[in-house]
Parts: sequence; C-alpha cells; structure tokens
Amino acid sequence: MSAPVQRRTVAVDAGDGALLHTTVEGSDAAPVTLVLAHGWTLSQAAWDDVATELATDVAAGELRLVRYDQRGHGRSSWGETEPVSIDLLGEDLVQVLDRCAPTGPVVLGGHSMGGMTIMCLAANHESLIGSRVRGVALVDTSAGDVHRPPRTRRGRLQARLQPGLLAAAIARASLVERLRRLAPPASPAHRKVVRGLLYGADATDAMVLRGAEIMHATPVRVFATFYPALGEHDKRQGLAALTRVPVEVLVGEEDKLTPVRHSRQLAQVLPDAVLHVEPRCGHMLPQERPGLVTAALRRLLSAAAGDEAVAGGGVTTPP
Amino acid sequence: MTSTRVSPAAAVLTPGREVGVAVIGSGFAGLGLAIRLRQQGETDFLVLERGDDVGGTWRDNTYPGAACDVQSHLYSFSFAPNPDWPRTYSGQPEIQAYLRSTAERFGVYPHCVFGADVTDARWDDAARRWRITTTAGELSARVLVSAAGALADPVLPDIPGLGSFAGTVMHSARWNADHDLTGEQVAVIGTGASAIQIVPAIQPRVVGLAVYQRTPPWVIPRGDRPVRPAARRTYRRFPAVQRAVRGALYASREVLVVGLAKQRRFLKPVGKLARAHLDGQVRDLQLRAALTPDYTIGCKRILISNDYYPAVSAPNAELVTAGIAEVRPHSIVTRDGVERPTDTIVLATGFATTDLPIAHRITGRAGHTLAEAWAGGMVTNRGTAVAGFPNLFLLVGPNVGVGHTSMVYMIESQLNYVLDALATMDAEGLAVLETTPQAQADYRQLIADRSQGTVWLAGGCGSWYLDEHGHNTTLWPDFTFRFRALTRRLDRENYTGTPADAEVAA
Repeated sequence: MSAPVQRRTVAVDAGDGALLHTTVEGSDAAPVTLVLAHGWTLSQAAWDDVATELATDVAAGELRLVRYDQRGHGRSSWGETEPVSIDLLGEDLVQVLDRCAPTGPVVLGGHSMGGMTIMCLAANHESLIGSRVRGVALVDTSAGDVHRPPRTRRGRLQARLQPGLLAAAIARASLVERLRRLAPPASPAHRKVVRGLLYGADATDAMVLRGAEIMHATPVRVFATFYPALGEHDKRQGLAALTRVPVEVLVGEEDKLTPVRHSRQLAQVLPDAVLHVEPRCGHMLPQERPGLVTAALRRLLSAAAGDEAVAGGGVTTPP
Repeated sequence: MTSTRVSPAAAVLTPGREVGVAVIGSGFAGLGLAIRLRQQGETDFLVLERGDDVGGTWRDNTYPGAACDVQSHLYSFSFAPNPDWPRTYSGQPEIQAYLRSTAERFGVYPHCVFGADVTDARWDDAARRWRITTTAGELSARVLVSAAGALADPVLPDIPGLGSFAGTVMHSARWNADHDLTGEQVAVIGTGASAIQIVPAIQPRVVGLAVYQRTPPWVIPRGDRPVRPAARRTYRRFPAVQRAVRGALYASREVLVVGLAKQRRFLKPVGKLARAHLDGQVRDLQLRAALTPDYTIGCKRILISNDYYPAVSAPNAELVTAGIAEVRPHSIVTRDGVERPTDTIVLATGFATTDLPIAHRITGRAGHTLAEAWAGGMVTNRGTAVAGFPNLFLLVGPNVGVGHTSMVYMIESQLNYVLDALATMDAEGLAVLETTPQAQADYRQLIADRSQGTVWLAGGCGSWYLDEHGHNTTLWPDFTFRFRALTRRLDRENYTGTPADAEVAA
C-alpha cells in the first residue's frame, strides 16, 4: 500500500457549548494548512469535490486539509449564544484554527456564509491576517447587503411578514420537518426548486441531488435562525486587513443568492484581489466547478508555502 | 464495581473429592441448576467457577453501558422473582447484584469453588465417573454438567499488526475499568450488541471516536423507564401481578417468532420501525445509508438502543466502513488508504459461539474430545446430551440460543430436563445414562427442518448464529414453548441406562 493519509475527527469546543465536527486530513508536518468553511444550510460535505481534487496534494504531504461543520449544521451542535451572528461564526473559525492548525501558514477558503465567516475573522482579528492567514478564497459570497430593501409592494409585504414566518417555523419545527419529509430530495419537484435557486445551466442532476441531500439533512432551525444573521452581515468597511494577503474572489455568473455584484463589490474593496466570474454557473461553485475552485486554492497555497520557505530560509541563512 | 464486595464463604477442593454432580460455570445456567438442586434438598454437588464470583457473562461484561436487551421481569429466574428491579431494562450492575443475592439467598455459595478453571474432564469408563482437573485441584463426579455458556470466551479478530499496537487493546468482555479513556482517540471495532452499548457510553468523554463497522445492525427503540415505587410495592405484595407482567412480556416477544421463523412478511412492521428510528435520529443521508442494513431484519440479532445513532453522529465521532487493512503501533489503517491515529482499541468482536471452547476440554468414552466428536457439526439430543459422553449434560449448548427473548426461559427448560434425568437415574438405580446416536441424528434433522426458511438462514446475512458450513448450530429455530415441551421430561426412550450393579465392561 502507498503511504496512507492521516485522518482525525475532532470536536472543536467553541467555548459556549457548541462542538464543531471537524475533519483533519494529512500530515501535521505539511508546510501549509487549508481550512474550508461551508455555506448556509450546507455542511463540510459541500467541499467533498474540492477535497477529492486536493487528495493527491494531501497524500503527498504538501497540504493539511481541515473541514468543519459550522455550528448547528451537519454534525456540529448548537452553543448557548443567542441570537447567532456571522461574527460568532468568525470566532468559531478562530477556535478551529487554534485547535487544528495552531502553527504554520494557513489558507482559508469560504463558500457563501463560509466566506462571510472569514470576513468576520479578518475584521475582528486583524492580527491573524498576514501572520497566520496567508491567503483567502471567497467563493459565491458577499460583504453585506444580502437582503436588499424590497422595491415592490409585494416585496415589502413579504419583508414585513418574514420575522413572524421565521419565528413560526422555529416554534413549529417538528411540523415543518414532517412537511419536508413529504418531499425528499429524491422527488423531482424538490430538485427543481433547488436547481432553480442555487445552480447554473451546466449543473448535472447528480450535483443537484447531492446538494439537495446535504441541505435536506439541515434542520429547519438552521434555515430560520441564520437567515436574519445573513441579512445583518456587513463587513464592507472591515476588510482592510485582507489587503495584506492574496485573495481570490470567485462567483457564478448566474448566482441568484449572492449575485455577481456582491463579488464585484469585494473586488473594489480589495483592489489586489483576483476576481473570476464563471459563466453558466450558479451559487454552488465548489460543486459546479471544483477544478476552478481548486486551482484558485492551489495558487494561494503555493504562495503561502513559498512564503514560508523564503521565511524559513531567512532564519537559517546568515545575513 | 462488584468485586469490592466480599463473597460469602465458598467451597475448597480437597484431594480425592468426590461429588454427585459437578457443574462448570456459575452464570444464569450453573446458578439456576445449583438453586434447583438446593431446592430439592440436594447437597452433593459443586459448582466449578473460573472467576472469583458467580455471574458468568454478567460478571465479566463490565464495559460502560453494559445492559440487558430483555426486560428484567422476564430476564430473571421464575423461581426467584425480584420485585425491586429499578428499571424495566436493567444494567449489568443490577443483574450481577441480583445473581449474587439470589445465590446467597438459596445457599449456593458454599457449593462454589472459585478460581477453578476446568482444564480437563475425562469419562472414566471403569469407575463410571467423570475425572475433572481444575486450576484449583482435582475431583471426580458421577454427573458432569457444563454450564459454560456460549458468550464466555472472547473472540479476538485476526487483524494484521494488532499485536504490534503500542496503545491499550481491550475486549468488551475483559474491560479494564482502571484505563481512563478521557481525552483519547478511541477505536471501537464491531457494531454488535456490546458495541452499541459501549459507543454511547464512552463517546462524551473521548476526544475522537472511530467506529469500525463491517455490517450495520438493525436497531429499534429501547423502551427503558424507571419502575415506579408503587409498582414495586404491588409486585412485592402480589407476586401474581409480577408473574402476569412476565407472562405478557413473554407473549409479546414470542409473537416475533412468527416473523423470524415462520412467515418473514410479519417482520415488515419491525423493519419499518427500525427504519423510522434510524431516519428520525440520523439526518445525514450518507451516514444514514452507511447505517442501513442490506439484509432482512432479524437475520442478525435485533438491537435496541436510543442513544447509539446519536453517538455515532456526534461531533467527535466517525463511522468507518472501509475494512481494516492493518494496525500500526499508534494507528489503524483502512483499505482505502486512510490512517487514523489511535490511543485505545476496543474490540467489541463478540464470542466464540459456534465452536464452544469447553468442548476441547471434555473427553468422552472413546477417548476423543467433544470438539473432535463435533468436527462435522455440533450434534446433540435436545441441545443437552451427546452420544459417547455418558452422564454429561450441556446447558446453553448448541441450538438453545435465542435472540428475541429471555435466555433464562431456555435455561429453565433445560433445567427441567437435566433434573428429570437425575431423578430418573436415582429412580432406576442407574450408574450411567447416555443418549443414542439415532436420537442425535433425529434431533439434528428436527433442527434443520425447522431452520428451513427462517430469517437466520434466508435473511441474507452472515451471523454468529451460523457455523462455517452455514448451518444453524446456535439458535432454537421455533417458538420457545415448543422447546419447553420437548424438555419437560427426559425422553427415556432415547437413552440407554446402565444399572449401578451391572458388570463393568472389560
């Protein structure tokens, strides 16, 4: 057998009772660690295709890969902090770094709410950026203004009803769950809705089914409690630290949840960032274009690992 | 936990000791026989116990979470009811305490020899007695009863490199309570009845838990709840009420046999219950798929648990379905090329059930062991007697096992049979009683016929119920009341008896 790949399952203690289900793959001696944060109502499984692409790098000892379930999502538990916010998710990510990548250069990749998580970390822990965090990939995400003020009468009515609807959904969660079970991901109607909302023209049925399955595993409480948090997320003024490191911004041209303008806005705030708008794709680039996302991550990883080699050389070479 | 209590005075083997009946083992079976003998006023018997206390399987299996899958009102001696069971389903400490107090109450301890592992038992045809060698001394007995049981000797899996592991390895039945799992990366190998009790018990305190699964079990909800004090008072004042509860529990479990052994379609509702239990507790569809068995429910033992599924889907847990390739000093490597750092390995890999280890130590009239006599499969008359092995009775032997109800019921059926055999020997003045090869062949055919079409043979799984030839050698394949009927009295016509005054054959 070729050299096996190390894997550990770790429950990272977020400090308020939340335990974050984290998977660490690869050698602790790897020159760089990649930490991936997934989006709203998804789980670390949303990164599976990217992880498959990176498996050779991990096996070769060039990379340590850390994936985790955001609180409430996947296998991670809820903490005591109420209400939840994206800033709280940023603090969770700091705990994941402390526990699973305490030393060495780190590249962060975030999809959708995971990207916002990284922005919160960058805004609230500026000192980490450049010292520990050496590169950031922001995929299908936004720095703020996710729920635009409604412009039509119908939109305004919806906006007024929303808090009540969300509260009702949480209060009657078991009823909502029973209703959800009536239309599982296997049903065509379910997949049609998911495809229309999240995926672009090129997405295969298998991709849509897998995405729908991941979201179907997410409790209704996650949908309802994180929805307002997404609306409150605004880090358009807080990303200065990210100008210190290489940033790749990627978005699907047909993204309906965080449309292209959000990524263009990021590119304006971060003038050195590389912006890539991918045609015929929606909001699920890690699934729809795992090769594209992996290529961006690899550029960041080799830059981060290269930095380290240079820095390491500086220590051992006399001036 | 139980060994801290001091056992009442036990017997000691003196050289040349001769007894009427020697019993190997003091679990439910050996203890049950000892109690019934005492109840008849019999004192000429000894119980040979390799451990340091009574209890057998329930003394040995002290792993965290150890508990019984059968309600205590049913999983106890009919002749020694306990009105004070604290819960409907009892844990190992309660069951072990029950066995100890029952042994004490019926005066069994003075007949027990502890630390007496039977290493050899030979039929002496000239003396018409069993010559028994134990680690505590030797003795001879007119009748030998093996109550060594099927869940006595742990099976260690044949995994490359297991011997090279630098951390702690422990079998579920040899739990080391002094070893603290807190903060460790722990691997549990196996997903049987022991594993699904251990996993939820240790999951909250370990850092990381990997459960290595070969075949998932079917799991149904565990209706465990405390027994209210009022109910306990009622049971104490009106034992008939507890007997009625016991009867109702027995009947409700026996209904399962219709599905298990007669018409498999009657298992469908049970399968649906298990599916709903899994779907309700595990949201992740990939994990759910990995936990979904591909065989008919009942083919392997149906397990009951409310906390196994939540534990394997906990933040610090991982279900590993890729087979184990090898164990390294500090890790386990699976066939998909993944290496998981591991501090402690828990082997929840079960017991030697289809090859009873005691069979290698019992030598019959012709000079070969029971294991040799059984080389072509375990054959018996009524699971209890073997041709060529005079004055030997087996408790919890072949085809006496049950997966759906209380083993104690089967044991008590066998006790009726053995006691009637002893009474017959006394009444007829027999020195030797031995079953016939024909009776054995007939009984083997009966088992084979009744096993046909049962879920254990036709359910699409391999299990510890079947031997290496795929024959059912462990389970009673029918309603348990039919076994009781078969063993109510000794089938004297299937035995040859030699009177005590007959000439010894040269």
